[in-house]
Amino acid sequence: MAGSALRRLMAEYKQLTLDPPEGIVAGPVSEDNFFEWEALIAGPEGTCFEGGVFPARLLFPPDYPLSPPKMKFTCDMFHPNIFADGRVCISILHAPGDDPMGYELSAERWSPVQSVEKILLSVVSMLAEPNAESGANVDAAIMWRERREEFNEIAKRLVRKTLGIPS
Amino acid sequence: MQILLSSVCLALTSIVIGNAYYQKKQFYPAVVYITKSNASMAVIYIQFFVIVFMFGKLLRKIFLGTLRAAEFEHLLERFWYALTETCLAFTVFRDDFNPRFVALFTVLLFLKSFHWLAEERVDFMERSPVLGWLFHIRVASLLGVLGILDYFLLMHAYNSTLVRGPTVQLVFGFEYAILLTVVASTAIKYVLHAAEMRTDVPWENKAVFLLYTELVIGLIKVILYVLFVFIMAKIYALPMFVFRPMFFTIRNFKKALIDVIMSRRAIRNMNTLYPDATPEELRLSDNICIICREDMINHSKKLPCGHIFHTTCLRSWFQRQQTCPTCRLNILRTPNANSTAIPRPEEGVGGGAAGQGAAAAATPAPVAAAAPIRNQANGAEIPRVDGAAPPNAASVPGLFENMGIGNAGSNNLPGGLPSIPTTAAPPNFPTLPLPPPFMIPPPFPFIAPYAVPPPPMPSDLSTLSDEELKLLEGNERRNVEERIKLLRNIELMLNAAGILMNNYQIITARLQTTVPLPTETVASSNNTTNNTINNTNERPSTSAAAAAALAENQLHTSGTSNVASVAKPTVLTESSTHPPLQKHGDVTIEDLGGEEHEYGVTQGGDAAQVSASSSVHTSGIEICTDDKTTSVTAEQPENTELSELRKRRLKFLEENSKMSTPTTTTENTSSD
Repeated sequence: MAGSALRRLMAEYKQLTLDPPEGIVAGPVSEDNFFEWEALIAGPEGTCFEGGVFPARLLFPPDYPLSPPKMKFTCDMFHPNIFADGRVCISILHAPGDDPMGYELSAERWSPVQSVEKILLSVVSMLAEPNAESGANVDAAIMWRERREEFNEIAKRLVRKTLGIPS
Repeated sequence: MQILLSSVCLALTSIVIGNAYYQKKQFYPAVVYITKSNASMAVIYIQFFVIVFMFGKLLRKIFLGTLRAAEFEHLLERFWYALTETCLAFTVFRDDFNPRFVALFTVLLFLKSFHWLAEERVDFMERSPVLGWLFHIRVASLLGVLGILDYFLLMHAYNSTLVRGPTVQLVFGFEYAILLTVVASTAIKYVLHAAEMRTDVPWENKAVFLLYTELVIGLIKVILYVLFVFIMAKIYALPMFVFRPMFFTIRNFKKALIDVIMSRRAIRNMNTLYPDATPEELRLSDNICIICREDMINHSKKLPCGHIFHTTCLRSWFQRQQTCPTCRLNILRTPNANSTAIPRPEEGVGGGAAGQGAAAAATPAPVAAAAPIRNQANGAEIPRVDGAAPPNAASVPGLFENMGIGNAGSNNLPGGLPSIPTTAAPPNFPTLPLPPPFMIPPPFPFIAPYAVPPPPMPSDLSTLSDEELKLLEGNERRNVEERIKLLRNIELMLNAAGILMNNYQIITARLQTTVPLPTETVASSNNTTNNTINNTNERPSTSAAAAAALAENQLHTSGTSNVASVAKPTVLTESSTHPPLQKHGDVTIEDLGGEEHEYGVTQGGDAAQVSASSSVHTSGIEICTDDKTTSVTAEQPENTELSELRKRRLKFLEENSKMSTPTTTTENTSSD
């Protein structure tokens, strides 16, 4: 019998494979290491990210699900809640103790009942509705608030880039 | 790259040796030539390091196979730190710096690297889906070899220190001792992981064993480090090079200690506070522990909020966070009442009791010691004022029975009302806040406050609670609960009236201090009790809404009244009789809340016990506080005061009624 973290990750993988949510594909990078996943997220329809497919990595801690995984986009992203290096900044990925941005409710934080699926769904909704209050990428936040056209333009360019279409 | 470097190094060495032979033609002069030439020696030393490195690679291939990327990264990181520390250590021993010394440090670093790798490997066991026999053979043999080497090197260092006094061997002896502890903890972890792998079911106590291993090893390491720093500081200089590892060791030890404490608390809570989930409850839920996503067949616990998890999953979560994983109910804030507080979240009243229970739990005091004292105190004086017992006794049967107080009055006074059965409180009342010395009560001020709160009008209360309940949730048993609440209220009212009367009697008796007529007082009090009940009922009162609001705010008010009593202890007659007054009003209503709450649960669920204990706590507190505050004032109460106090009380209640919004739990918890 393997460790509980591993068993839980296997269960989640199975669940995600059997009943995948729309626009999300996720699974371990290799069968040897269930603690690193790769996810592909389709940009939500009706938003500036529509049509894009964004690859991301999920790194799970040894004590998952007691601690949250880390998520990082491996493509270029320009979004108020994504750091320049691709790290995703949403409350569901933060353990209740720490509050990097100082505004999150503990009710939105990580707890063991959350799952990969919920994280990815939250990320999709984050793509659709950025939270301009959180300044993971301040430039993006300001642009999203004040120059929406420009923001959409950049997002469209990113979408084309992820699809390999020259812009 | 590596191959290139080693081949360049090999070429250089060959050139150096070839050159020496070419020049001296014979073995011995050639060796002398090389050792005399610094450049040649440098090349030889570098060659030596390359050989060590290659040997290390060979051993790694044998014992570990290919390293994973993460393992390699960690190894590199730790290696650089260790190298820096070694250089720092050189500065301390700069006097005996020689090739042998460098060689010894190289061996140390070499062995350290393998210790780290072994640790990483064993940690990886838990995360790896499949492990073959090769893995086990490798890890076991590596650990064995490392352990033996550490032991011999440690003994060597020890012996040489004994023979030659403190030298650099002191450092090595200490380092190998630390490494030996690393081997020990790695081996224990390995055995635990391996044992779990052999079974098909998750091994529940593994986490606990791991925790204690960490704690013990951490303690040994901390002791070693402190000892070493002390010895080194005495003999040489302050060993800067161990500060970093020492800091991390102490930090880890602290973490392990906190973990153990939290884990113990979690286990204790798990065992005492939360009921096991019954098969029925498991069937009703979807039977999957949402933490580990596995079926719950056995060993699952039901939290106060009704969510069910595996005991072990819950324990490991509670080690980090004392909230329900699903609804984030803070379980520490409601440690006693929680088992019942949520299955039927009637938070307006029940939440108050819960919050009070939490306040009680916050400051534990020896109950065993407290109970006998109170027993004496009450036993001595209460017989005269039978009515004192009921309001508390009704909600605290266990406590008063333990104390041997006959509380027959509780059944006499309600006068025909069906006495509602209360479930027995659990025998352990873990916490009572106030120290025993304050518990010796003069009986009458203790009771006096009961007189003052206006009896809640049943109809008013019921409508209000109705709204409250509607606000909170559409409960099915609402009607039944309402009825019970009503009955409870009436009972309490009667009790209060009885006490009030007794009180008046006693006070009047005391006021005629110069003419002590104890027997007469008692007699008259008994006679007039019934009349007073009626009187009290008919007395015009502020709206019952005020009383209900008070139940919600009671925690707050009792807090403030406490402050008041502390603030003006010297003003004997006025200000210090006032606070207990308020407080007792609170008790009455609060007890009311506790009881009805409890009863509702007795009907609905299995968790009534804890609620009973919660009301024990609440009333326990109140009694104590009262005794404390009123014992000061007991000497000279006056009749006129009482009316004045009553006025204040009414005013207070009215004020409270203005802010009567069922904000419930947040308010209650925030005030503790």
